[in-house]
Amino acid sequence: MTIQFTLNQQTVEVAERDKDMPLLWYLREQQGLKGTKFGCGIGQCGACTVHYNGMAMRSCSITLGQAQGADILTIEGLAPSEDKLHPVQEAWMEIDVPQCGYCQAGQIMAAAAMFKQHPNPSEAQIEQAMTNICRCGTYVRIRKAIALAADKLAKEVS
Amino acid sequence: MSMHTKGDGPGLTRRQFLKTSAYGGAMLLTLNLPGKAQANQSPGAASQWCVYVSIRPDNSVLMASPVMDMGQHMKTAGPMLLAEEMDLDWSLIEFADSCPAYFKLNADGQAEYAYSDMSTGGSHALRRNWDYMRQAGATVRRMLVEEAAARWQVSADDLRTANSYVYHPDGQRQFSYGELAEQAAARQVKPQAVQLKHNDAFGIIGTARTTVDIRQIVTGKPLFGMDAEYPGMLHAVIARSPFIDGQLLSQEAQAAKQVAGVRQLVNVPRRTEASYNGTTKQLMAPGVAVIADSLWAAMQGKQALRARWQAGAEGKSQDSEAQLAEFHRLVSDADYAGQSGISHKVRLAEGDAKTALEGAATVLDATYEVPLFAHLCMEPFNCIADVRSDSATIVAGHQFPDKVVNDVAKATGLPPLNIEVISHRMGGGFGRRWEVDYVLEAVYLSQQVGKPVKVTWQREDELEQDCFAPAMVMRVRAGMDKSNKVIAWHHRQAQTRGGARDRCFPFKLVPNYLSEHLDYPSQIATGAWRSPGHLQWAFAAESMLDELAHQAKQDPLAFRLKLMQPHKAYPHEGFGGELIDSGRMAKCYEKAAEMADWQRPRQKGIGLGIAGHFTFGSYAAFVLEVAIGAENRLHIRQAWGAIDCGLAVNPNHIENQMQGGFIDGLNAALFNKADVQGGEMVTKNFHQIHFMRLSEAPPDVQVSIIHSQAMPTGVGEPPIGPAAAALANAIFAASGQRIRRLPIADAIRI
Ligand code: FES
Ligand code: FES
Repeated sequence: MTIQFTLNQQTVEVAERDKDMPLLWYLREQQGLKGTKFGCGIGQCGACTVHYNGMAMRSCSITLGQAQGADILTIEGLAPSEDKLHPVQEAWMEIDVPQCGYCQAGQIMAAAAMFKQHPNPSEAQIEQAMTNICRCGTYVRIRKAIALAADKLAKEVS
Repeated sequence: MSMHTKGDGPGLTRRQFLKTSAYGGAMLLTLNLPGKAQANQSPGAASQWCVYVSIRPDNSVLMASPVMDMGQHMKTAGPMLLAEEMDLDWSLIEFADSCPAYFKLNADGQAEYAYSDMSTGGSHALRRNWDYMRQAGATVRRMLVEEAAARWQVSADDLRTANSYVYHPDGQRQFSYGELAEQAAARQVKPQAVQLKHNDAFGIIGTARTTVDIRQIVTGKPLFGMDAEYPGMLHAVIARSPFIDGQLLSQEAQAAKQVAGVRQLVNVPRRTEASYNGTTKQLMAPGVAVIADSLWAAMQGKQALRARWQAGAEGKSQDSEAQLAEFHRLVSDADYAGQSGISHKVRLAEGDAKTALEGAATVLDATYEVPLFAHLCMEPFNCIADVRSDSATIVAGHQFPDKVVNDVAKATGLPPLNIEVISHRMGGGFGRRWEVDYVLEAVYLSQQVGKPVKVTWQREDELEQDCFAPAMVMRVRAGMDKSNKVIAWHHRQAQTRGGARDRCFPFKLVPNYLSEHLDYPSQIATGAWRSPGHLQWAFAAESMLDELAHQAKQDPLAFRLKLMQPHKAYPHEGFGGELIDSGRMAKCYEKAAEMADWQRPRQKGIGLGIAGHFTFGSYAAFVLEVAIGAENRLHIRQAWGAIDCGLAVNPNHIENQMQGGFIDGLNAALFNKADVQGGEMVTKNFHQIHFMRLSEAPPDVQVSIIHSQAMPTGVGEPPIGPAAAALANAIFAASGQRIRRLPIADAIRI
C-alpha cells in the first residue's frame, strides 16, 4: 500500500508506514523542498503554508495520510516558469516586503490561495486570510503587496 | 561632518600590494592597503583590506556582503557602499549567498576579523563598515582608472568612471571594468590618489535599493541555516531541561532508540561560565540528544524519549511573577530594599533631585512595569558542526562569527584559525544570536559522534532556553515648578538583571536628575533583546512626560518641544554615540506630528499618542492613532514615524525597518510576556505567547527620514524604543485610561 498525491504537478508515492509524518517534513527532508519553513510545528505561525487542493494549509499539521489523493503546491511550484513568477511573487519583489525573509514563502502562499477565492479581496477578507506570523513585522508591506498583486491579477484576467 | 576624506594612510613607505587569484574564471581582488580605521594602530603594522568582489571579463561582478543579513538589510547596504565608490553598475552585480569569514589572530591569540567587521548588533554594522567599504571601493576604482590611463597614455586624473566603465576625456573611448580588471589587479596605487566621493556625487548611496536576495526569498530558495545540508551529517534533536539548573528525572531510552532512523542517544552536560555580573551563565543546557538519520526521526525519538526533569536547587525558587511583585516593593520602599540587602545604586546624579522634588509645585509619582520579553526568532536555531581532529567547520546563522570562532576554539582546544565558519542568512536575530548555545551543542555532539551533526531546535526549545529581556519595574517621580517646567526627575528601577538606559532624554534636559538601580539577584537568564532596555526605559520616560503634559494641561507635543529647548548637542557617555542632540530629537517629534496632522481634532474614542527616543546614535519619534471602541476594544488605526539616522544610505530599507521595528515594539507592548514558574519556563509555543497578526497591526506606518549629512547611524533598533509609550499615550488620549503595565493586552482587548 502506498499513499499517492500530486506535488507541484508531479505524482508522488510514499510508503504507508510514513502516514503519520507531517507533510512539512516530507517536503523538506525527502523532497528537498526547503522553501516551506518550520516555525512552530503546531499550526500557529504559518511559515509552513502550502496549497492543499488550492487552499492555504499548514503543512506541519497535515499528515501524509491526509495528503492521500490531494493536490499539493509549494512555493517552489507557484511560479508558472523560471522566468515568469506568480503575480503575488512579483508584487512581493516590487514592494520589497521581506526583512529576514523566513516567513515570506508562507505569506506568499497564503496570499496566493486567498486570491483564488477572492480575486479582489476586501480588507476583512485580507485580514481573515493572512494569519501567518511575521516576526519582523512586515505587515504594512504585505498589505501593499496584496493590493499590487490584486491589480496585476486583474490585468492578467482582462 | 564632511564626507570628503582622502584615503591617505601612513604614507608611501608602507608597501601596498595586491593579490589576485582565479575564482571561477573571474578575478577575486584581495588587497592590502593602509586605511583610516587602522590609524591608531602601531605604525608599521601591516593592515589588510579586502574587497569581496570579483570582476568578470563580461563586466559582471560577483559581490559578497561584509555582513550577513538577519532582516536588518546589511547584505544590501554593505555592497551599496562598495559599489558606490567603485562606480559600479548595480544591475551588473550578482550577490553571493554566503558571507566569507576570514580571521586573523590578535596579540591575545584570539581570532578577529581579517578584513571587514562581519558582526551585526547594536545597530552598528553600517557604521563599522562605512570607512572600510568605501575606502576599499575607491581603491579598486583607482586601480581600474590607472590601468585605463596607462593604456591610453593619459593622466589618470583626467578620466571619469560611471556604471562600470572608464571614460576617455575625448568622449569617444571607453573601457569596461571587465576589460581592465585582470591587468588592473596587478597595479599598485598611491594611497594619496585614492579619493572618496563627496556626498553630492553619490549615485547609489541615498537611493532606494531592493533586498539583494529578494528573488531567492520569494521563490523559496534554501538561504537559511535551517535549509543547509552537509555531506554525511546526522541530525540531532535535544530533550533539554526546561528548568533553570534542572536535573533529569526519568527517560525512556529504549523507546527512543526503537524509532526508525534513530541511531543513538548522547547525554549533553550542562556547561556554565562565570558571568561579568557575578552570576552563573549557562552556556549549554543539560539534555539528552537524539541522534538520527533525519530531523523527523530525531524529533520522533525525542517524543518517544519522554524525558522528565526536575528543578535544580538554585533554580527552584525562580518565579517571574513573584519577582515582579518584589520589584514593586523594592522601588516603593527604600527600607524594605535595605533590609533585603539590595541597595540603591546611584547610576546618574545631576543637581539634587530629592530636594528639588520637595520644592516642586507639582510632583507625579508613577510606576511602570514590563515583563520578560521572549525573542521568538522566526527561524528556530540550528547549527551544523563538523569537528575533525585538527580543524572544524561550523555552518550557522550567527550575529557574531568572531565569537563563534573563539568560543568553539575554547570548547575544542582547536587553534582558532583552523575553525571555518560558513554563515547563512538568519531568520531573525534580535540579539538572541549573540549566544552560542546552539553552536556549542552541535560542536559537542559532533565530537561525541565523530561525524558532522546538525542540531535543530524546536519552538519549545527556543522559548525554554531563551535569554529574555529583563523584566523591570520603574518608578518615576517627576516634579514641575509653578510654570510647569520640569525641574526634577527621579528614576528608580528594579529588574531581573542587566543595565538601564538612563542616559537618554530627559537626562540633560532636567536640571535635577537621579537614576537609581536595584540589582535583584535573579537566576532567570537574560540577554540582549533588540535595543536592550530602550523600549522599557522609553515606556517609563515618555509615559511620564505625557502624564506631566496632561497634568499641566498642555499639548503633549508642545510640552515635549519645550523640554527640548534650547536645541543643543550634549555629550553622551554611552554606547551608540558621542552626542545626544535635543534639536535632532525635536525635529523628529515635529515631523511625525506634522505627518499625523496632530492638531486636527479626532472623533470621540480616537486618540493620538506621541513618543520619541534616542538609540544608538539615531533619533526616532512616532505618532500613533488608536480607537477604543465598545467593550474597551483597541483598534490601531495608523502610525507615522520620523527618523534621523544621519545620512540615509538606503531609504527603502530605513522605511522597512521603521515599519517593522515599530510593529515589533507594539507587539512587545501588547503581547510579549514570558513566564517562569518554579524555575521552569512555562511559556512554550505561539499558542501561549501571541504574536501580532496582520489584522492587529497598524494598516499603515508612514515614514519620513530627516535629511542629514551626518555620519550614518543605525536603524535596526531605534524604531522599537518609542512604541510602548506611543501606544500607552494614544490609549490615554482615546479613552482616558493610563496604562502603566505591559503587556497591554492584559488590560485592553484587541
Ligand atoms: S510550522 Fe506550521 S504553522 Fe508553524
Ligand atoms: S520577514 Fe522575518 S519573519 Fe517575516
